[in-house]
Amino acid sequence: MLEMLSLAPILKGLLVLTFAGFTFPVTGVYLLRMNLLPLRFMLMHGAILGGAIALAMQYNPFWTTMLVNLLMVLLMTKTSRSMQVDTGQISMFMMVISISLAFIFIYKFNVPAQDTLSLLWGSLFALSWHEVIGVLAFSGLLLAFQFRYRRKLRAVFFDREIAFSSGVNEGRLYYAIILLTAITVAAAMKLIGALLLDALLLLPALIASLHAKSLRGVIIWSCLWGGIFSLSGFFLSLAIDIPASSGVALMASVVFLIIYVNHKRFKS
Amino acid sequence: MEHSLIVRRGEEIVFTSNEHWLHPLFELEDYLKGKNIPPSELFVRDKIAGKAAACLMVRLGVTRCRVELLSERAIPVFRAHGVEFSYGELVEHIQCRTEDLITDAMSIDDAYLFLRKRAGRVQGLPVKIENLTVDIGRKSILEDLSLELGRGEQLVIHGANGTGKTTLLRTLLGFIQPVQGTIRIGDINVGSNEWRQNRSLVGYVHQENVKNTFPISAEEVAAIGLSERKLSSKEIAYRVEVAMRRTGCFHLARQSYHSLSGGEKQRISLARCLCQNARVLLFDEPTSFLDSSGKEDLLELLNELSSTEAPTMILVSHETAWLDQLNWPRKELKGGRLC
Repeated sequence: MLEMLSLAPILKGLLVLTFAGFTFPVTGVYLLRMNLLPLRFMLMHGAILGGAIALAMQYNPFWTTMLVNLLMVLLMTKTSRSMQVDTGQISMFMMVISISLAFIFIYKFNVPAQDTLSLLWGSLFALSWHEVIGVLAFSGLLLAFQFRYRRKLRAVFFDREIAFSSGVNEGRLYYAIILLTAITVAAAMKLIGALLLDALLLLPALIASLHAKSLRGVIIWSCLWGGIFSLSGFFLSLAIDIPASSGVALMASVVFLIIYVNHKRFKS
Repeated sequence: MEHSLIVRRGEEIVFTSNEHWLHPLFELEDYLKGKNIPPSELFVRDKIAGKAAACLMVRLGVTRCRVELLSERAIPVFRAHGVEFSYGELVEHIQCRTEDLITDAMSIDDAYLFLRKRAGRVQGLPVKIENLTVDIGRKSILEDLSLELGRGEQLVIHGANGTGKTTLLRTLLGFIQPVQGTIRIGDINVGSNEWRQNRSLVGYVHQENVKNTFPISAEEVAAIGLSERKLSSKEIAYRVEVAMRRTGCFHLARQSYHSLSGGEKQRISLARCLCQNARVLLFDEPTSFLDSSGKEDLLELLNELSSTEAPTMILVSHETAWLDQLNWPRKELKGGRLC
């Protein structure tokens, strides 16, 4: 099995999955705590639109998807703040508009719909070195952001009004959180696909929030669980010949079930 | 130069001061806060002492002293509290305005708070609201409301539900923009650029019904008050510990915040405000989710806070029985105005 690591695509996949596994769950905590789950679905639709544009215009799908998602998130937060409308409602509107735009591109430019939808499945072993470096750099940025703003994030996560009255510029931090989450979701979609990205982002955060008593604990444990799932899932996929994303999702689901059942038993 | 105040512990001189008026005794108070010395082991030698100094010494827990020039008005205070005293010269009264302002009706705690305010040692900032009008949607909630509170003063605002009590607090915090009128906290106008830099001057304690149950420890909640300070982790841990000990909740530091009782959560909130060094505290229905022991706890904490740090405090509540025990001045919010 280890000899497979001498193949460049496999090695790149392992490298990216390891870094993403240990860092991306930070945004899973943001998603859960800030109740940004509608955003995650909006970004999935954004990925289809990005993919359709990329295939129609022959751009790089990874960076186009990333850009489309960033624009959508900026538009969503700006509209939500200026019109004082719930982000969930704006997300739903954006979902509809993005999927309709995607199909317009598919229809007008004769893009094979199957190729666009294949973006939702991820392609861990088809990453270019530029994309690998991009993911690694973003992992570093994510950790740096979390470390630099950990105290302010703690305040915002607890209560946005209390954070405001403690002097924290919670509005600016909220924008930053949304932007980072958007980039992470777009990158995770490319790695393990939109349908399984919850395994890399949400499940580690969810598991950590079941057993940790502090926010610091949740962040640290989310990253540890994410790393463990990524590595174990990757090698499981090599061992029993299943897709890497399924391996990660399988490991995360099994651990989640065990911890959830134990948590319930402990509580009762 | 001979010191105005010399404090001995046994044969050892542990504290001296050359300041005037009551400042040496306030300095002694600061000194004792950082040391673990029982005041009963101290012998205080003061140059001049009147009734005000006597009240302060009693409040500090001093039990033995010698005063070179003693006012006759200090003697009943010393005697009433079992302080052993001697003097060099006794005078009918000393030439000090403060001496005349301490009345017999004042308790030691009242006199102490009064003297702290006079010495500029209260934490509170004055609050001045002028002609405040606030609309929510098309409905006018507050109309031409004015209010003035001095440093370290307390006020209860009561009134029926929906009269705008919470709106008033939220406007004071800057969450809501008034249609007209100004709010000044100290020398700062709420909503100004200067206020944006100093928002943490106002601490906010709400009903403690935070709906999310996302894990966060009690000490993490207290540390929120220090979110904007550029301090080392060690310094933050120290300040959080001091604040949590001060509000009697340090033993809960590592526990999950959401597993605490309502009263314990309020202690954590006050510790957060102390960490924040808030100089004006706003309480929005703080007893709403408290059982009877939680309410007693909060009462005790507020009374202690008002006689020590003495931040300016505004509390909004409609629980009259509890407010009677609190015994703060009250105003009713009715028809958008305070009366």
